[in-house]
Amino acid sequence: MSLFMAALRFQLRLAAHSPGTLQVWATAPLFTAVFLSIAEHADRTDLTSFAVVAPTLMGQWALALGIAGELIAEERSQGTLEAVIATPGRLSVIVVGRILAVSLLGVTTMAEAWLVAGVGFGRWIAVPHPVVLAAALLANAAAMAGTASIMASLFVLMPSARIVQNTLTYPLYLLCGVLVPLSQLPAWVRPLGRVVFLSWSADLFRAALDEAAVSRPAGRIAVVALLGLSGYLIGALLLARVLRRVRRLGTLTHT
Amino acid sequence: MYPSPFHLVRYGVLNAVADFKATYTWRSWSFGWLGRMLAQVLFFTGLGGMLDHPGAVRYLALGNALMTCVVDTMAVVATTSGERRAGTLSLLVASPADPMWVFAGRSLHWPVSGFATASVALFGLGPFFGVTWAAAQVPLVLLLIALTALGTYCVGLFLAVLVINVPRLRNVVSNCAYLAMMGFCGVQVPVDFWPRAVGAVVQAVPLTHTLRALRAVSDNRPAAEVFGPVVPAVLTAGCWLLAAVVIFRWLVAVPARGAGTLDLSY
Repeated sequence: MSLFMAALRFQLRLAAHSPGTLQVWATAPLFTAVFLSIAEHADRTDLTSFAVVAPTLMGQWALALGIAGELIAEERSQGTLEAVIATPGRLSVIVVGRILAVSLLGVTTMAEAWLVAGVGFGRWIAVPHPVVLAAALLANAAAMAGTASIMASLFVLMPSARIVQNTLTYPLYLLCGVLVPLSQLPAWVRPLGRVVFLSWSADLFRAALDEAAVSRPAGRIAVVALLGLSGYLIGALLLARVLRRVRRLGTLTHT
Repeated sequence: MYPSPFHLVRYGVLNAVADFKATYTWRSWSFGWLGRMLAQVLFFTGLGGMLDHPGAVRYLALGNALMTCVVDTMAVVATTSGERRAGTLSLLVASPADPMWVFAGRSLHWPVSGFATASVALFGLGPFFGVTWAAAQVPLVLLLIALTALGTYCVGLFLAVLVINVPRLRNVVSNCAYLAMMGFCGVQVPVDFWPRAVGAVVQAVPLTHTLRALRAVSDNRPAAEVFGPVVPAVLTAGCWLLAAVVIFRWLVAVPARGAGTLDLSY
């Protein structure tokens, strides 16, 4: 636990000054304005909450994916990767702790989006289910860290992490109903989207901002957490295998 | 004898081709980058399907398809500032040749990639959302995509020069710039949706004009409405390029030569 907390605190200190975080903070209001303008122009003020939820998830995922791609590469370029791996601490715990830090930091984009809707468009969004929203935000941040940790291990082997990072944005946002709910997508797409935690998180966030009662909140939050846990387990397993391979080949600093 | 501007741009282009080959294979471009960009078009167009607003889907599909070439082209900001990271900026500034010609050529792979992406989006994806083209319109559409890509390239070069001393901000600036264009230049909603001041500012962006021309082509409007916006598109692109040259020469290269700091402020 102390290793996990140390990794989390370390990344929080780094992230506050990193260009990646600045980029997400700078782009979230613009994304919100883009989505809101589309809804407002069509007089669909009922879609305002959609315009707040989407930039939040997009910002968090961009941060999580960014750190997952750069974490190993940065340790390698600084010459600290061997030392980190030589310690008895589990690398997967460090990885997930560091990604969780940026996922939690990404929650601030929801506040930004909420302010843009209120100040810029005069749409102050009420939060009728604050407890559900808070629990969903936490579960989502954890799930993001778990899922993105899969990428961290793949990036050890891949020289073109940046392309993978780019590719895993909009196709995933589309497939998971980050902006347009899965229920609006073709039926054949829905099962694919349901396998990824983002689809459950997006639905939960939107439901928490809606006046109507949220159906089965505990069960849905549990699904987000379970999918995130599965991601973490897959990531840890992959990382162990990748590390065994690079140790055997002696290519830890070369791949 | 020093190389002529033509030769400098040509060397820059050779560099761009090598850079592109190092970044992508045909497979990673087609299935990775192109797939991602088409997903972006579907992502925004999908919202149109929820609006129950006549013409919304078609409007969003056309705007976001052309927008793909802007997103692609704005990578010029990152590759230009990459000269500092590679340690070649000082050599470029020290050489008797004008580095702006090198910059003008060395990122041309991005507008070419953007041209290809937007062409696939407009001709391959567009018809699914009511954006169809007659055979006679195709050359005009291709011309407008090319003009958008080159105009955006000039905007990108200007921004690249601005951030050349703070390369940490290269992605922040390029992302914010293309999102601002996406928001305010008529891609998602008409320009007149925004306050007048915003509408006035976006007249300085080539995309605003080329997109208006493309919508005119798509709606089979008179030739004056198609070709009218081409003039301001070319003029604004030229102004951005000129501004990039002036800023680089007088506000970046000259002070940096004097202070000897080109490699120190990374």
